[in-house]
Amino acid sequence: MRNQLKLLRVERGWTQEQLGQALGVSRQAVIALETERHDPSLDLAYRIAALFARPVEEIFDNPHAG
Amino acid sequence: MLQLASRNAGPPHRRYVIRTMAFMAGYVAINVAAIFGAFDEIIGRPVAWVLAFAVAAPVVGQIWATLSLMRESDEFVRAVTAKQFILSAGLAMALATLWGFGESYANAPHIPAWLIYPLFWACFGLVAPLIRSSR
Repeated sequence: MRNQLKLLRVERGWTQEQLGQALGVSRQAVIALETERHDPSLDLAYRIAALFARPVEEIFDNPHAG
Repeated sequence: MLQLASRNAGPPHRRYVIRTMAFMAGYVAINVAAIFGAFDEIIGRPVAWVLAFAVAAPVVGQIWATLSLMRESDEFVRAVTAKQFILSAGLAMALATLWGFGESYANAPHIPAWLIYPLFWACFGLVAPLIRSSR
């Protein structure tokens, strides 16, 4: 799923490790999210949205939106 | 498991490696002892079933270690691990089935059933590096 995760992370000067710790996931998971090899669960997507204080759809493109 | 050795691995992976090594060590130790004749006196007797259960126990332990890894990991690692194990187990079962029917129908030489475990890990070694996505 296309997303702005890497952009948001780099804007804040965080490493993948730091973002993973903030979200409670492994660095592997952060890499997979950034490279679109993992579609997050709704719970993880909301955690990411809360961390960056953005709506989910500002971070993840909705593939079902017209 | 290649990804276990990567610098991206977290504490759940490290615990998994330690548990796996411990169970593998038990499996190997019993078999090496058997090869060097430590159990020759009981081979062929009913009590040898104890030895068979002892060698099989680490395999059960390995399943527990894998389930623990999945329980302790995040959703991405959980999904990838499940895919790797399902594919490896499926491939190993398919090969064992192929060979079993080869023995029944095509006079293939007999291979002991315990080889399914090393075969599973051989399949895992082939499959795991190819599974990089949770989809």
